[in-house]
Amino acid sequence: MTEPIRKIIHIDMDAFYAAVEQRDNPELRGLPVVVGGSPEGRGVVATCSYEARRFGIHSAMPSARAVRLCPDAVFIRPRFEVYRAVSRRIQAIFRDYTELVEPLSLDEAYLDVTETPGFRGSATLIARDIKRRIRDETGLVASAGVSYNKFLAKQASDLDKPDGLYLIRPGEGAAFVAALPVGRFHGVGKATERRMHALGIHTGADLRRWPLPDLQQVFGKRAPFYFDIARGIDRRPVQPSRERKSVGAENTFPADLHHRDAMLEELQSLAAKVESALTRRQLQGMTLTLKVKYADFQQITRSRTARKPYRTASDMLPVLDALLDETEVGQRPVRLLGVTVSGLAPVEPTDVEQLGFSW
Amino acid sequence: MNIEIQREALLRPLQAVIGVVERRQTLPVLANALLVAGDEGLSMTTTDLEVELVARTEGQIHEGGQITVPARKLVDIVRNLPEGATVRLTLDQDRAVVSAERSRFTLATLPATEFPTVEDIGETEPVLLPQGHLRELIDKTHFSMAVQDVRYYLNGLLLELDPERLRAVATDGHRLALGELSGNVQVQNSQQVIVPRKGVQELLRLLDDSDDQVRLELSSNHIRVTLPELRFTSKLIDGRFPDYQRVIPNVEGNVMLADRETLRQALVRASILSNEKYRGVRFTLDKDSLKIQSNNPEQEQADEELAVDYAGTPLEVGFNASYLLDALGAMQSEQVRMGLVDANSSCLLQDTENAGYSYVVMPMRL
Repeated sequence: MTEPIRKIIHIDMDAFYAAVEQRDNPELRGLPVVVGGSPEGRGVVATCSYEARRFGIHSAMPSARAVRLCPDAVFIRPRFEVYRAVSRRIQAIFRDYTELVEPLSLDEAYLDVTETPGFRGSATLIARDIKRRIRDETGLVASAGVSYNKFLAKQASDLDKPDGLYLIRPGEGAAFVAALPVGRFHGVGKATERRMHALGIHTGADLRRWPLPDLQQVFGKRAPFYFDIARGIDRRPVQPSRERKSVGAENTFPADLHHRDAMLEELQSLAAKVESALTRRQLQGMTLTLKVKYADFQQITRSRTARKPYRTASDMLPVLDALLDETEVGQRPVRLLGVTVSGLAPVEPTDVEQLGFSW
Repeated sequence: MNIEIQREALLRPLQAVIGVVERRQTLPVLANALLVAGDEGLSMTTTDLEVELVARTEGQIHEGGQITVPARKLVDIVRNLPEGATVRLTLDQDRAVVSAERSRFTLATLPATEFPTVEDIGETEPVLLPQGHLRELIDKTHFSMAVQDVRYYLNGLLLELDPERLRAVATDGHRLALGELSGNVQVQNSQQVIVPRKGVQELLRLLDDSDDQVRLELSSNHIRVTLPELRFTSKLIDGRFPDYQRVIPNVEGNVMLADRETLRQALVRASILSNEKYRGVRFTLDKDSLKIQSNNPEQEQADEELAVDYAGTPLEVGFNASYLLDALGAMQSEQVRMGLVDANSSCLLQDTENAGYSYVVMPMRL
C-alpha cells in the first residue's frame, strides 16, 4: 500500500527579530541591524537584517566579529516578549488553514495542509495566501517551502529567500536532493558533514550510493534518516504539539572561568533557571547533562541518569558537582557552562512530596 | 417519673448533648438519651461509647425516676414547642409521654439499666481553669490533628499536664501545633493523655470564651471536663505520642518577620493557582523580600511579592499553603515570626506577642 501524497508547507519568517525591529522603528529600515548580544561582551548574533547579511554577518556569529565586519551595524538587544506576541499572531493565521501546525521556533513552523479544503487543492496557493495574510496582518515577510514531506519543504523554504515561495513536486525530490551538498541538508550538522566528507560523501547523490548497513556502522541510529533523505523520503509527521525533549540553560561568561568555586556558583544559578523552567511546565527529567566549553572552544558534555527524577536545583547541584570532577575544569579555562535536564516527564501530582517529621 | 420543666430549660441542655448521638448506632440504646430525675433536678446523658455528655437542668420533680428516650426525636419535639411552654414528662408503662399545652407525644423507651455510663474515672488530680483559656488552647491547636491516620495516636490531641503548665499538641506528621497555658495550673504529677479527635471537637463545641471556671481531670483512661451545667467525659487513645520536642527546630539565623495579615492574604491568593490537592506554594526569601509563587497542572501561575524583615541566607522552599494559613489564622499578633533552616527542614511560625503558641511546618518538595 502506498502512502497518500502529503502536502507540507514550511514557513520561515525572513530575518524575523530584525524585521520586527525595523517594522517598529522606521529609522532602522534600510540599515544593517543586528539583534543579539552586545558586541562588547561575548554575545552572539540572534538575527540580522538582510542589509547586515551583505557584510557577511549571520546568526550565531559572535557579535564582536559582526561589528568588525560592519562597524556601522546597529546592535539591538532582543525583545522576546514582542517576538513571542508576533509569533502567536502568525500561528493563529496558520491555524486558520490547518490544525496540523508544528512550530519549530518563534519564526518557523511546519503545516500539513493535505486535508485543507479550497484553494483548488493547491498547497502553493495556500502558501501564497498565508504569506499575504502575514504581510497584511503583521507587516512582516515570510518565505515558504512547499513539498510532500517536512525535509523537502524546509529545504525549499531556504531556496528563494527573502519573500520566497518554492515548490518541490513529488517526483522532483530525489533529483533535488541528489544535487544538494550534504552540508546544506537540514539535520546534517557541521560534525556530520565533516565525517561525510571524510567518507567521500559530498552530495545527496554520493549519500545515496551507501547501503543502509554501511551507514549504520558509521552513523548509528541516525543512519535510516540519512538513508531516507538521500532518496527524498521523510516520513516524519507534522506534530501539532511538539514535545519538549529537554530543558536547559547555559551561559557564556564575559571572562573565562578558572576556578571550580566560581563554576559551582554559575552552575547554581543555571540549575535554578532550569528548575524554574521545569516548574513552569510541570516537568521533571531523568537525565542531567553538564556542558562545558573550554576557552579553546572544545566542548564536552557529561551526563548522569538518576533513579529519582531531577526537579529542583538541589536535586541537580550535588550531581553537577560530581560531573565537574569528570571534566578538566580547574586545569583548563572555561568560557561556557550549560545545564540540561532531559528524559522529561510531567510531574505527577504524586511527585509533589510533602515532607514529614522524622520523630 | 413525673416532672414539669420550662421548654427553654429543657432545650438548651438537650442541644448541648445531642452532638455525640450518632445517626447510625451499633447499639439501639445509643440513639437514646438517658433521663434521670431526682433531688438534684433532671440530668440528660448521651454517649457514643467514646464520648459521654451529661447535662443538668432544674425543674419541678413531682416523682423521680430514670428512663431512656430517642434523643433526636425528643430534641425535635421540644424545639418545635411554643416558646415559654411548660413541658411535662411522665411514664405510661414502657412509654414516655411528653406533653405541653395541647400537644402530646408518646415515645418508645428502653430501660435505663441498658444505658452505658461512665461514673468513676479513677484517681485524678483536678485542675481548675477559666473556660475561655481551655477553649483557646484547644482552638489554636486542634486543626493540626491527623484524620484517620494509621498512626492512630495522631488522630487526637495530646494534653500534657506539668506541675506548672498545661500543654496541647496536635500533629498529623507534616505539621504540628503546640500551645501552652501557664499561671493557673498547679499539680503534683506530670501526666500525658491523648484525647480522640471526636472528643476534642465536641469539647470545643461546649466551651465558650467566658472566665467561668472549669474542672479538668485526667485519669489513666479518661479525660473529664466539668462545667457548671455540663460534664464531658471521653475515653483516651491508648498510644505513645511522638516526642514532639524533637521536631521543633532551633532557628537562629534565618528568621523572617512579616505582617501577618499581609502574608495571610498573599497566601490565600497564591493558593488559588496551586495544585488543588497539594496546595503547594514556593517561597523565595531574599534580603527583606519574600516571593510566593504557585503553579497548577494547567500551568497557570500566581506570583506574590512581600516586603518582610529578613537578613538570613537566601532560601527557596515549598510549603502546603493550607498548613501555613491554619497557623497564621490561629495567631493574633500583628506580625508573625517565621524561622527557617533550609528547603528540607521544618520551619517554625510564632506569634510575636503570645509566646505560648508555636507552629511547626515541614516543607514540600515541589
